[in-house]
Amino acid sequence: MDIKKLLFVTKFEELGFDALQSLLSLRKASLNHVVFVNVIERDRVAMHRGAGYLKEEEIRLRETANIRFIDWAEDLFEQGMEVGVYIVVGSLVSEVIKAAQKEETDLIVIGRSHKGVLEHLYSGSDITELLRRAEIPVLVYKQLSETAIAIEKPFERPLLAIDWSPASLSAVEYLKALKDVIQELDIIHVVGQKKLKGTSAMGIQAIRKDTRKKLEEICNIFESEGVKADAQVYIGEADEEIEKAAREHQASMIVLGSSGKTAWVERWLGSTPQSIAEKSIYPTLLIPFDQK
Amino acid sequence: MGKKVLVVDDDPDVRLFSVTVLEEHGYTPLEAANGEEGLKMIKEQKPDLIILDILMPRQSGIRLYRELKTDKSLKNIKVIILSGIAKKTFLRSQKALTEFGGKEVPEPKIYLEKPVEPDELAEAIKKYLG
Repeated sequence: MDIKKLLFVTKFEELGFDALQSLLSLRKASLNHVVFVNVIERDRVAMHRGAGYLKEEEIRLRETANIRFIDWAEDLFEQGMEVGVYIVVGSLVSEVIKAAQKEETDLIVIGRSHKGVLEHLYSGSDITELLRRAEIPVLVYKQLSETAIAIEKPFERPLLAIDWSPASLSAVEYLKALKDVIQELDIIHVVGQKKLKGTSAMGIQAIRKDTRKKLEEICNIFESEGVKADAQVYIGEADEEIEKAAREHQASMIVLGSSGKTAWVERWLGSTPQSIAEKSIYPTLLIPFDQK
Repeated sequence: MGKKVLVVDDDPDVRLFSVTVLEEHGYTPLEAANGEEGLKMIKEQKPDLIILDILMPRQSGIRLYRELKTDKSLKNIKVIILSGIAKKTFLRSQKALTEFGGKEVPEPKIYLEKPVEPDELAEAIKKYLG
């Protein structure tokens, strides 16, 4: 699957033009169209006691966004790219999904939300909601100043974490299409502690050997496409080990298949993709299971 | 009935502004909210003039202008660009697209940067349509 069209969702403070520029290496994978989206949350302009609908505030917010987008668009137009823009009032996730469908984009890029723990628990985060509803891959971008890691181009050294689910195998297919962008790929699987309980040392070694063999098969797929790929097996809690692996291998991004569990399951039981998307310091690309 | 002028702009306020100017001067306005819709209307309605924005959803004015100017049956339709995007950017963009293998397209004769006064727009339209 090529990435021809990208939806870049920004509130400006969490995702700027530097982030977009770091993604332009995707032009080697056919990217030629960027659609900017800025959603003015309804609360900011909705009916306020004594003031009614804040039309002037809406105009001010729209024009502020428009001016930023014009600057960004000029830069991309001059490189021969196609650019579109949506500045809308509404709820973030609904408007993003609507724009992605209207524009038929191949990837959604969004910054991390900054809601507190309680808000996450009771209302769910925008990221969780977006991951649940999006039918296309979502890249949760992390700001450079936030991580203090010089991530120049997220797609150059991704780390793919596989759990053998259909979604993570979709991620393999997705990354294969990006062979001209990826310089080096690390592929890992995290074996849970539960799986090792009561197992002998030999048994543990056998699990490692089997897992590694399966991972090597995936590596071979990439190597045959000309992408250098290495396999690693980790043991422990998935979230922690994936983060550790990304750090150890100096990854530029974490890639995961997104399970598509229902929102309440993710909220109460948690999920690795959701947790990494929200907590990891690395940009996180989530690939939904491609049912086609 | 006056000459047909198609306004292609995603901003309803700008469309309303242009349509008002057109009606006041006796032209027949048509409207489209993006490049894709605009191209469809151009083929169906064959307007005498197009007032074209650049930064729009679905298809930008840069691509629409290119499609018009490289289509034998549409290339003679007159175009006024009315956009917040600088003319310099428009020209560089067309140059880049030509370098990527596209055909060379002529420069637009009238390029207005937003915002414009009603008289300025009316004058530009008059230059083309009389």
